[in-house]
Amino acid sequence: MGLAALGAAAALALAACGGSSGSSSGGGSGSSSSAGFNAAVTSVVNPSTHKGGTLTFGDSSTPDSMDPGNTYYAFMWNLTRLYTMPLMTYKSCPGQCGLQVVPDLATGPGVVGDNGLTWTYHIQPDVKFEDGTTVTSSDVKYAVERTFDRTVLPLGPSYFPLLLAPQTPAYPGPFKDRSKNLMGLQAVQTPNPTTIVFHLAKPFADFNYVVAIPQTAPVPPAKDTGANYQLHPVSTGPYKFQSYQLNKLTTLVPNTYWKASTDPNASQLASKITITWNMNANDIDNRLLAGDLDVDAAGTGVQAAARAKILSSASLKASSDDPISGFLWFMYLNTKVAPMNNLHCRMAVEYAANKTNLQTAYGGPVAGGQIASTVAPPNVVGQKNFDLYESTTKPGGDLAKAKAELKLCGQPNGFSTGIAYRSDRPKEVQAAQALQAALAPAGIKLSLHGYPSGTYYSNFAGVPNYVHAHNLGIETGGWAPDWPDGYGFFDFITAGDTISPAGNTNIEELNDPVVNNLLSKMASTTDAATRNSYTAQIDMQVMKDAAILPEVYAKSLLYRSPNLTNVYVQPYYGMYNYAVLGLK
Amino acid sequence: MITFIIRRLIATVFLLIVVSMITFAIFFLIPRLAGQNSYQLATQYVGRNPSRVAVLQIEAKLGLDKPLYVQYGDFLKGIVLGVHYNAGTSVTYCPPPCFGYSFKSQQPVWPQMVSDLPVTISLAIGAAVLWLVGGVAIGIVSALRRGTLFDRFSMGIALAGVSLPIFFTGLLSLALFSYKWPIFPNITFVPFTQNPLLWARNLVLPWVCLAFLYAALYARLTRAGMLETMSEDYIRTARAKGLPERTVIFKHGLRAALTPILTIFGMDLGLLLGGAIITEYTFSLHGLGLFTILAIQNQDLPEILGVTMLAAFFIVIANLVVDVLYAFVDPRVRH
Repeated sequence: MGLAALGAAAALALAACGGSSGSSSGGGSGSSSSAGFNAAVTSVVNPSTHKGGTLTFGDSSTPDSMDPGNTYYAFMWNLTRLYTMPLMTYKSCPGQCGLQVVPDLATGPGVVGDNGLTWTYHIQPDVKFEDGTTVTSSDVKYAVERTFDRTVLPLGPSYFPLLLAPQTPAYPGPFKDRSKNLMGLQAVQTPNPTTIVFHLAKPFADFNYVVAIPQTAPVPPAKDTGANYQLHPVSTGPYKFQSYQLNKLTTLVPNTYWKASTDPNASQLASKITITWNMNANDIDNRLLAGDLDVDAAGTGVQAAARAKILSSASLKASSDDPISGFLWFMYLNTKVAPMNNLHCRMAVEYAANKTNLQTAYGGPVAGGQIASTVAPPNVVGQKNFDLYESTTKPGGDLAKAKAELKLCGQPNGFSTGIAYRSDRPKEVQAAQALQAALAPAGIKLSLHGYPSGTYYSNFAGVPNYVHAHNLGIETGGWAPDWPDGYGFFDFITAGDTISPAGNTNIEELNDPVVNNLLSKMASTTDAATRNSYTAQIDMQVMKDAAILPEVYAKSLLYRSPNLTNVYVQPYYGMYNYAVLGLK
Repeated sequence: MITFIIRRLIATVFLLIVVSMITFAIFFLIPRLAGQNSYQLATQYVGRNPSRVAVLQIEAKLGLDKPLYVQYGDFLKGIVLGVHYNAGTSVTYCPPPCFGYSFKSQQPVWPQMVSDLPVTISLAIGAAVLWLVGGVAIGIVSALRRGTLFDRFSMGIALAGVSLPIFFTGLLSLALFSYKWPIFPNITFVPFTQNPLLWARNLVLPWVCLAFLYAALYARLTRAGMLETMSEDYIRTARAKGLPERTVIFKHGLRAALTPILTIFGMDLGLLLGGAIITEYTFSLHGLGLFTILAIQNQDLPEILGVTMLAAFFIVIANLVVDVLYAFVDPRVRH
């Protein structure tokens, strides 16, 4: 599926061990621990119910939008939990526990009917907006309707127009011809104020994940200001907007109509929250270390200068975490560009690649990531470890096996092909150069082709005709799923039916019936255990196809301010859980 | 004098139109000449994995499907007449000078720039006062005490000031006086009208760093100018007439030496008002400089156009003011 975080933030994180029980503060269920390196990856650090204080966030970028219906950044999905309640959400707890999708505004998971074509949710009857009015299912339906008009909300995901049953003429969203189209989406029905029924075009077993996206957070139609709604979304979460200076400063204050009993995955500990946008990234790090700032909202880790400082100081290191995120850095190995259309030529690349140098290109084992041997990162539900091409046992590459594969490929002396990368991303440039150097001894000559990241997918690597015409056998890329299961991870990058003429994300152009069939079965299988078993099978098949060269499971060094309470890495977001933080 | 000012104002309008045409061509025409079509341009503003229909809708909404001369005409029209914009639930009016709507945030560009102006003006004016007073004073004393220890020391410091970029002095000052010894902790812009003391407290470091860079230049220029002027015959005549030394220095010497300083001051202040990019970035101050960086990062063409026009306006106006002052100082300019 789509990208929650490409280019903006690494989205998900591994929590290696499962959380356990008992936590004092809102939503934090997991074992508590005293501070230490990586303490917040698997447990709650500084658990507390203490209230008060101003929680300060800083961010070196700006939000794509504060409107829950119009955002696709991972850190924004994390932040929106402070002021919204979508139908479902991720359980607030560290470790594997935090990958569970649980009811938020809904009273329970969706009830599947009509052979998987309908999903019914009942919403809590006593949740209120910040003005005291009660949330109804119509407010949720309206929130979904808004996502159909990309001229007003262009930036969020577009799952609902894709998944819901179509109507004729196509539903244009509630903004055009408002009197007619408001509540005009036929695929979503609200038989009573606490029930909402989604009618799908075809069965889709991951629908609970889809409604965990902030786009199902209720929006009162009368309060919707369209493109200006981002300036003051109407809150259902523990905090509401006091003010928002666009791209500068957001100030949140407690929502007096919020009740902890209806929102167990969030808390209302701080008496005020400020988020300063568009700050100097190094300034953020220094303020964190000086205690002037509490959280780096981007959640992608500290910069090189602060990293060196933290890793060289025992006390600072004890206040930091280095989780594996759900982001994978990898190379697409194109299955259509000759001679890479030959499996053995692609396998030669898999064997010859020096994984250690690729890891170094991305920043090394702490800031870059862990050498990857599978396509799915460890925090994707159902992922299993395997290593077909000796990535972990021979990380320097296996030249002998590479040459053997080249013989089978009919290219015993090697071949020439191009590699595409984003020239304004130094890490990708270095990775391309590292691969070029590693393949040269095997006789595989790579020519480097750099492109601007803004048009990388729309004009170059994501355009199959361009790729073929320019003999681009390899393309660099990165991926994080919109939800942490195998379908969420693999569909958009490996399913044959996702290959598109521009903006293509299946850049390797894999169209393997085995993979397609597994994905198709996964989409229609509601039994979680069966569905998750497909994850490893798809992963194995893609690696057997040598269609992707995994580089690293991304990691980021997060500094955990000692001022904070209830701190832990929420594995789905790959950063601290912003919905439950408090201050000492 | 009034004719002179009117003439210059008319020239200013033409200059701004030329600047807008060049900027528009750089960001709208050149990408097309390089092969990018309006559909590809629109894909940058539709989020991820957009459908073709969605891209076409955005292309039409942003006006990217129109001929370039129409797009440019719409841009100029917005500046003069304002723009009506459909926000979804209502149509809002962006009054002139409307520099259009951000492709990213879908908010009018002009109010965003206006809200950034107090930061940039506070930074530029405060620093300008410091560097003008400090630089000119040091330059005068150095010139009058030529060859002394003070002269050599101050000129050495001036050389260092010219050589050290803001991203060095700024980071150093932050490291020492904000992070290590929190004399100026948590630097955040506070409007003067809200709390003058906090306003000044939070701007001290940026002012000093910026003024250090410029004061050095002004000290050296003032010193050179004063040395040249004080060796003129009319200065000797003034002294021979028995005028007090203070009058000789400030009325006859400094006035003549300040003329070139005035010219460069106008240019420098105009440039800074357009956005002290590095200083604002270093200190995380949300002025026009940071606005510019963000606009470029987002490839937000209306914002880039807007801030370029505003920066050009400041430079042109600052030069106009300097020229007017020049005309007062030197009547020959008026003719």
